[in-house]
Order: sequence, then structure tokens, then C-alpha cells
Amino acid sequence: MLTMTNISKVYQTEKVQTHALRDFNLQVNEGEFIAVTGPSGSGKTTFLNIAGMLENFTGGQYMLDDVDIGKLNDNARADLRNQKIGFIFQGFNLIPDLNLYENVEVPLRYRGIKAAERKRRIEDCLEKVGLGSRAKHLPQQLSGGQQQRVAIARALAGQPRFLLADEPTGNLDSLMARQVMELLEQINKEGATIVMVTHDPELARRAPRNIQVVDGKLADFTLYQSREAVLDTANDNKMKSAVEA
Amino acid sequence: MFEIKPIFNALLRSKAGALMLLIQVAITVAIVSNAAFIIQDRIEYLQQDTGYPEDEVFSFTVFTYSDDIDLIQKFEENETMLRNLPGVINAVAASEVPLSGSGSASSFQLDADPTDSKSVRAAYSGGDENFLDTLGVSVSEGRNFNPDEVIVSQDLSKIPTVIIVSRAFLEEMFPEGNGLGNTVYMGPAPLKIVGVVDKMMGPWLKDRAADNYIIFPFLQPNNFQKFIVRANAGEREAIMRQIEDIMLEDYNKRVITNVRGMDEAKANYNASDILMMRMLVVLIVVLVLVTALGIFGLTVFNISKRTKQIGTRRALGARKSAIIRYFLVENSIICTAGLVIGSIAALYLGKALLQEYSLPELNNWYIVATALFVLVISLLSVVMPANKAANISPSVATRSI
Repeated sequence: MLTMTNISKVYQTEKVQTHALRDFNLQVNEGEFIAVTGPSGSGKTTFLNIAGMLENFTGGQYMLDDVDIGKLNDNARADLRNQKIGFIFQGFNLIPDLNLYENVEVPLRYRGIKAAERKRRIEDCLEKVGLGSRAKHLPQQLSGGQQQRVAIARALAGQPRFLLADEPTGNLDSLMARQVMELLEQINKEGATIVMVTHDPELARRAPRNIQVVDGKLADFTLYQSREAVLDTANDNKMKSAVEA
Repeated sequence: MFEIKPIFNALLRSKAGALMLLIQVAITVAIVSNAAFIIQDRIEYLQQDTGYPEDEVFSFTVFTYSDDIDLIQKFEENETMLRNLPGVINAVAASEVPLSGSGSASSFQLDADPTDSKSVRAAYSGGDENFLDTLGVSVSEGRNFNPDEVIVSQDLSKIPTVIIVSRAFLEEMFPEGNGLGNTVYMGPAPLKIVGVVDKMMGPWLKDRAADNYIIFPFLQPNNFQKFIVRANAGEREAIMRQIEDIMLEDYNKRVITNVRGMDEAKANYNASDILMMRMLVVLIVVLVLVTALGIFGLTVFNISKRTKQIGTRRALGARKSAIIRYFLVENSIICTAGLVIGSIAALYLGKALLQEYSLPELNNWYIVATALFVLVISLLSVVMPANKAANISPSVATRSI
């Protein structure tokens, strides 16, 4: 559903050219749960921004559900973001002056969904993240973990094709982080495709597929693969060597 | 689509800035609508038709300090001399000059006995049969004075028996319309109305009965004698400059002062009104500017405070136009509340001004027009910062700082 081919991103200032991504190739299939890791400044967030159409890329091709993103104008990208992508941010990014109900409502209003349908979806999603009874509360009245669950409810309300999570547990303690992770896993099981950027090797290990970004490129992604997969790869390599010899 | 409900709810949760702006908008509407109405009222007052060709008429005062001449004869000669000057249409010695701010007034009655008689106040002046023509007005009904009705004398026992009146006076005194040819009394003296001038204002434009004016065919020449001259408009200034020399050349034991065009005299009389109008205009401009800057400033502040929120909204699918609309709607909600409160305040302010300063009653259209004007100004003040907000990249949503 998501294919990036030779994507590059160059930040140009007066004196310096920074290559945030270069020759970035990735295929994400329906229903996958991918953890993206990598050192600070390696280009993880740039990748996430481009995947979520929050930023334009400099070169290459990005196809999302057979739509060539490079050819879309700003309005079309905004509409596509609204319809297909759910965002979960490290800092939750809830709107402080809106209560939980209104926060979850934001993307639905941009899509022009009717009030009754909005109400149904918002209540469903808040219920799903365990905050159905607190719809009238303001974000600052909740703990960090609860706020992130509201953000997840907001991401889910639009029934997106895939979720992009940027360090979703980065601001949470380990208990809350685990709860959020479990919620994401459950959502993935229900069919949503998830791409999650994280620093945390523990969390990354829980994702069925890991990729690593180093210096703006996709590196060998065996690092956090399950033990069996690593052995399989090793055996393959041995066999290859044997055949070549 | 307009997100009115969530924006309204959000405003209720962080009121301070919005409340300040609301009060400012309300004050602006209350003051600007009343100020605009007062200005319009003053403009109408200043531009009212006085009946006279003000740019053709001028007046001056002759102070004769010698008593070696017969003033009656001298002034007769001077009138003739002035009338013969090239460019002069007519000239007259007069007891008072209209629109000058100085004059005489009296009550005029229907009966000789003032106790139970209808009484109407009017300003009056005296001059010979050239008086009306010199002022550029003429009788529309009845007739002008005959030369034999004119009394030019130092002897106050000789009093005129006929008068010419302005239509305003005639209609106030005789609402039934039978005024012409009728008699009114100034004290015990009967005065027959022989002519009516449609429009002819007295010396005080601000007087309640400013256009009640009566002309007597009477002049008592004295050492401070006023003269009125009407000249072709283009030549008046040149004649005014020469008038002192011409008069002194004829006879030099006198001083010529106060040479003033009728328009200038009127402007002097109205100087305080013109000053007030200018101050009100400055007040309006300053108030509107401060309000516009306030709205601009608050929007810029809100945008810088909400950069991340705007980025998040964009990430969640808001088009640029939705961001602009958000700020326009937010501002419109604040302004509409301010406009409603301001309109009510304007009504009360108008009533207070009506009572305290006898100003005319505020026309409600001024409030509506001012409210619309302030709304447009406020929306214009928001457009630029809102446009800037719309250009905030959605990628700020993922920035941790």
C-alpha cells in the first residue's frame, strides 16, 4: 500500500545542504506493524513526515494506494492525509482549549462528516481507548498516558488506512508506555497498518517488522528481527556462500 | 464547516484576550457611531443654505472719530461711491450684518398688549431699500421697501411702520398662512409685513430660531457704522483689499476695520464646530486604528502561541483555507459580541448626549453602519496574520521543540 522508491530529501540553507534522506526505498504492505529505529538525526522523523505528507520530498517516487503523492497539490495532500492517515505524536498534540470529545472531532469535521455520525464515531473511539466517560474533560485534566490514548482515539476516529506514530511512548513512563503499545498492537490486529518511529529497542522488538534508518538510508533491518528470522537469514547466507564456493 | 461551536467553546475556556478585544470593539462602536453622527450633524449645519451668496458679500466697520461732518449725508455719499466701484453689485449701510455672530433680537407679538399675545422671537437689522439686494436675496411675496418708507435719522422718535420678514418667521407667527399684509407689534409699535424672503438667516446660526429674521427700513447712522457690499465673486478679494484706501481717500478722519468676507465671518463664528469636527475625526481614526491593531496583535499572538496546534490541525487534514477560516470565524464571534454590546452602549450614549448636550437624537443607521464598518476592519486585520498561519508547515506537528 505504501511504496517509496529512491526518495531523497535535501534541506537547503544559504550555505549548507543537508541530505536528510537519500535513495530511500521501502515497501509497506497492508496490515503490517513496522518499527522504525535509528540514531538521532538519522532521518526517522523526515521519513515519517514524508510518509504522512507533512513535508515534500526532493526526489524519487512515493506511491500511497496507487496515488503518486509527488503530483498532488497542497489541498489534495491535506484531504488524503485526512482520509487515509492517522497520526500519533510524541507530545500528543491535543488542543488544550478543546475537550476530549472536541479533540477527537477535529479530523472528522475537516472531512465534513455529519454530526450524528461524528458523535457515534467519537464515542466509539473514546470507549475503545477506555476514556468514554471523560469526553467532557480537558486534556490537562488527564495523565500523559490518557492523553496519548485520546490522541490514538483521534487518529482512529477517521478510520484511516494506516497509522503513523512518532515516538508514541516517548513522553510516558514504562507502565503507560506498555499500555499504549498494547493498544497499538490491538489496533494492528484489527487490521490497521502501523508505522511507528521509536528510540526504544524494547518497543521495537515487539513490532513484527523492524527497519533502521542510518544517515538517511534504510539499513539492514535484521537488527531487531525475531531470533528465528535471524537464524533463517544466517542459514540462507551460509547456503549462498556454499553454492558460490 | 465553520466550526462555530468548538471555536466558541474554546473561547469560553480562555476568555482573557477575547474579552479585552470584545470590550475594545464595543467601545469603538459606541463612540464611533455617536461621533460619526455628530460629525454628520455638524456638516449638515455648516453646509446649510443661509440664503446668501456668501462668496460675493463682505462687510466692514467705519469708526468715525471726528464730528465735523454730517454722518447721514456722508454715508449716503459713501453708499453711492461704493455702488459705483467697478465689480460692485450693490452696497448698503446696515445696523447689523447677518451670519456675523453679532446682532439684535426681540420678541414680536400679534397684539399691542403683550400680556396675552402670541410672541415670536426674531433677530432684526435695518437698512434702506438696497439692503436685500446687497445681501443677494429678494422678496418672493409682497414687495421691497419703497424709498419713501426708509427712515435714516438720528431721531429715534421716528419709527418705521413696515417690515420685511423671513418665511420662517412668517410661518411661525402666522401658521394659517395669512401673514403677508398683517401686522405684528414690537412693544406698542405696529409693523405691517409688506414682503417675505424665502430664505434669509439671522446673525446667529446656532440660534434655535436662526432663520427668523426681520428687516426694518431704518438706519440710525453712528460713529461705528457697518457697511455691507456685494461684488462679483471673482473680484471681491481685490475690492476688499482696496476698501480701506478708497474710504479714507474720501474722508480720512475715520478708521476702517473688520473687513471680512461673509464666508470668513461665518467660518469664524463656526470655528469651534470645525475644531470639534476635526477632533472627532481624529478620535474616530485613532479608535479604529487602535482596534484594528488590537485585533491584528491578538491574532498574531494567538498564532505564535498556537503554532503547534495549527501544524497539528494541518496534519489532521485541515486545508490552508480551513486555517484562515478558523481565525476569521474566531474573530467574527468576538467582534459580533462586541458589536452587540457596543450597539446597546451607543444607544445609551446617544440618549445621554441628547439629554446633556441637547444633541439631536442618534439615528440608528449610524450604529448599524459603524458596526458593519468595524466588522469589515476587524476581518481585514485578521486576514494577513491568518494567511501567515495557514502557511505554517504541518511538519511542525512532529517537532519536539
